Amino acid sequence: MPDSLDPIIRFDHASFGFPGVIALKDISLSINAGEFVGVIGPNGSGKTTLCRAVLGLMAPVEGHLHIFDCACDELRCHHRAKIGYLPQQGVVDRNFPVTVLETVMMGRYGALGLFKRPGSKDREIAIESLTHVGMERHKDTALGHLSGGQQQRVFIARALAQQPKVLLLDEPTTGLDITAQHNVIELVEHLHDELGLTVLLITHDINMIRSRVDRLVLLKTRLYAAGPPMDVLKPEILREVYGKDLVITEKDLVIVEDYHH
Amino acid sequence: MLELFTYDFMQRSLLAAAMVGGLCSVIGVFVVLRGLAFVGAGTSHAAFAGVALGYLMGWPPLGLAILFGLATVWITGWVEERGRMKLDVSIGILYTTTMALAILFIGLMKSYNAEVYGYLFGSVLSVTSEELRVIGGLSVLVLGLILLFSKELYFIAFDQEMAEASGVPARRMFFLLLTLVALTVVVSLKTVGAILVFAMILIPASTAYQLTSSLMTLTLYSTIIGVTTAVAGVVISAIWDVPSGPAIVLLATTVFFISVLFSPKRMKRAAHVHVH
Repeated sequence: MPDSLDPIIRFDHASFGFPGVIALKDISLSINAGEFVGVIGPNGSGKTTLCRAVLGLMAPVEGHLHIFDCACDELRCHHRAKIGYLPQQGVVDRNFPVTVLETVMMGRYGALGLFKRPGSKDREIAIESLTHVGMERHKDTALGHLSGGQQQRVFIARALAQQPKVLLLDEPTTGLDITAQHNVIELVEHLHDELGLTVLLITHDINMIRSRVDRLVLLKTRLYAAGPPMDVLKPEILREVYGKDLVITEKDLVIVEDYHH
Repeated sequence: MLELFTYDFMQRSLLAAAMVGGLCSVIGVFVVLRGLAFVGAGTSHAAFAGVALGYLMGWPPLGLAILFGLATVWITGWVEERGRMKLDVSIGILYTTTMALAILFIGLMKSYNAEVYGYLFGSVLSVTSEELRVIGGLSVLVLGLILLFSKELYFIAFDQEMAEASGVPARRMFFLLLTLVALTVVVSLKTVGAILVFAMILIPASTAYQLTSSLMTLTLYSTIIGVTTAVAGVVISAIWDVPSGPAIVLLATTVFFISVLFSPKRMKRAAHVHVH
């Protein structure tokens, strides 16, 4: 549950895209410190655009975006080091010649700034981050020698090494087997509870997160709904967004025709 | 044979080869990891066009080589960043255009100029003291900048977007890397030539890539391989009277194939397949 109701990310009628192509239109949304928010929506709904906006890689073409009281309208704000980011699988070359500890140490570079070398304190933070994700034993292992689930843990540790206030995860379970998916989501939930981090989790896997998040944000090029999961996952809203009749059972969210079979 | 090393020209050549070998192999680590291999090839030919124009007009060839090299990498980087064209396409166009310019400039010269061809094929044995000072100065500049910004350069080689998202000035670092590649190419032109400098950048780092999974070790191995093969290549060139550029590159290529055969990564993969 939220620790406080201080909005640390605030979209104010913000639209994102390029001239003539709007990927996200008229978004008004506040995310409070300590919240666990899931971002869902079909392919092309603007989830990754929202992610890039929060990272400060995209300025709004209309409206405003404030992060940590910093207006990000011209991409000049310096909040990036406070947001720990886990990119989608496949974005990073997972066979890059780098050890686990070297990967996690990269999380310190933004906060250190130019000209400063990482020192023993940074190494301590990196190892502590690896301990949080249960990977400290593998610190000298090559990243490419780890399984997909272990690599995700290392990338989460890299994000934690930034000592972030917000953890932003872009489809962290894609490409993982079912056990690894559960392990990663449980780890994120644990980090949210243990470290009091604000978590923004972008995913297609509604079943996996709906019982864990404080709020769901449903996108389809605009903000369709935002609120507690049961308020967002209403059949009429889901039908409109996904173009299928969906029903929520006690355990799962399934397509109606499959459910009746 | 030891008498050979007492000659001034030989000492200059060995020092030039060691500096160029070290410089190319260090920048090569970032070129290989960031996937800029083709940029090295394109820049070397652009720099050669600058040299040819310098000799045609009677202007300083090295200055024009730097200008042509920098213009090529900056245009390429700008085009990629704007997402208007893939990097390999834009560098391919500039590569062939600058090579056409080089041929045009050589064709416009009234007489055969052996010095121009020296920049094309490399002639480390004829490096003068003044050229050695220029190579030394530029090497210190490039290696100093790499050392100063190594953590940012490693990060953008790993993932530029993630680096930017973490607060690293990734865009500026990418252009710094391109600039350093261009300067390295120009520094190396006289020693190994425009055609082979690309190999000097690519092969030591690719060889080291076969041998380790750590960034720091990769850089160390690449430097050792680069310096050793460059110096050994010059010695072979002097002893057997063969051109220095090909001697260095063929030696480095031999080491590369040996590293592929005995790569610990390859052996682990083979063992993994065997177990399954």
